[in-house]
Amino acid sequence: MITVKDLHKSFGDLEVLKGINAEVKESEVVCVIGPSGSGKSTFLRCINLLEDITSGEVTIDQDVINDPKTNINQVRSQVGMVFQHFNLFPHKTVLENITIGPVKVKGMKEEAAKEIALQLLEKVGLSDKADAYPESLSGGQKQRAAIARSLAMEPKVMLFDEPTSALDPELVGDVLEVMKDLAREGMTMVVVTHEMGFAREVGDRVMFMDEGVVMEEGDPQQIFEDPQNPRTQEFLSKIL
Amino acid sequence: MLEALMDSAYIKSLPFLYEGLKLTLLITIVGLFLGFILGAFTGLGRLSKNGFIRGISTIFVEVVRGTPILVQVLFIYFGISEDLIGVNISGLTAAIIAITINAGAYIAEIVRGAVHSIDKGQYEAGRAVGLTERQTMRYIIWPQAFKRMIPPLGNQFIISLKDTSLFSVIAVGELVYQGRQYYNATFEVFETLVMVCIIYLMITIPTSVILRRVERKLDV
Repeated sequence: MITVKDLHKSFGDLEVLKGINAEVKESEVVCVIGPSGSGKSTFLRCINLLEDITSGEVTIDQDVINDPKTNINQVRSQVGMVFQHFNLFPHKTVLENITIGPVKVKGMKEEAAKEIALQLLEKVGLSDKADAYPESLSGGQKQRAAIARSLAMEPKVMLFDEPTSALDPELVGDVLEVMKDLAREGMTMVVVTHEMGFAREVGDRVMFMDEGVVMEEGDPQQIFEDPQNPRTQEFLSKIL
Repeated sequence: MLEALMDSAYIKSLPFLYEGLKLTLLITIVGLFLGFILGAFTGLGRLSKNGFIRGISTIFVEVVRGTPILVQVLFIYFGISEDLIGVNISGLTAAIIAITINAGAYIAEIVRGAVHSIDKGQYEAGRAVGLTERQTMRYIIWPQAFKRMIPPLGNQFIISLKDTSLFSVIAVGELVYQGRQYYNATFEVFETLVMVCIIYLMITIPTSVILRRVERKLDV
């Protein structure tokens, strides 16, 4: 479903990604872990071209997304993205946050989009917040609303960029619960996270990134219990 | 007592000054409206990825902000219209053009600052949902930025309103020009200028009060 070949990304002279190769299959949940500054968020942002790709190739379902001929808006509408800081639109209600994509990008009727939005809000446990503005929600509620906003576009893939890092500890659980449900339903997911418990329980595969490369990858059990690379061992010993 | 007041220049100058007030408001409102359009384009131009558009927008803003509005209006009225293209434009037209250009440059900075102040994550979220750059601007960035523009735009209204007084030098019959005409004929300088000030304050003070309320309500 997603194929990344020799992906390089530089900001000026600073090379953040130094040749990433990765493959994500349909319905797979891949968790990306690693120390901060390792390039894991940049890697994720390259997958829907929020960052320009310096060299290499990212393919989503046959479409080479960094080919200038590819309609990037089309691609982005099929790739959901959930941000660390939620990035809900503060001037729109929760419902409007969710319907804007389907209405403006897909040309869906307002009524039909509203129906989908209400279903999604029920799914993430926010039925009573449809008409609320984001500022009145807690962090966990904001993130669940943001997940609903992404899902409204019926994406083939969902990207999560540290979705629980900005949350108070007691609010993390609800968000992870929603993500687990998605994984169970067969959503293809790439999750940059510091939640090792989540990676272990839900991840089909774990990628450990450091210094702009994938140092090690494998199934969660192997990575967490029997890491091979010394950098992985060091990282895990610090956080577990 | 009342009779003396009614008979004084304070009151008798009013019908005369009222004619000037109408022009002052006309120049301010039309000039600011056009200035906002000019400023919106120039302000967004300063944020453009296109170096040429960014360059001319920046030059425009710097030249206009760096020269006095009095020189600008003399330039428009005498320099350009008479010397350069040989067509006489009316003083009123020159005045409106001057306010448009001058307010436009300041509003460009207001627009640029407001758009720039919106969190980058908003743009990214818009694009991530699949909106085009233009749609993201229109539905996500602009409505949020516009809210932040309201207080400085109100401030600009007050500044431009007062700037119109300079147009008396090209014989536009605005408030100050009318006042000068009146006291030149009657020699009642003090009374007339008091009334001129009161009329300005009757517009600027309520504007300030409304602005402060709006600011509190918008919480910006």
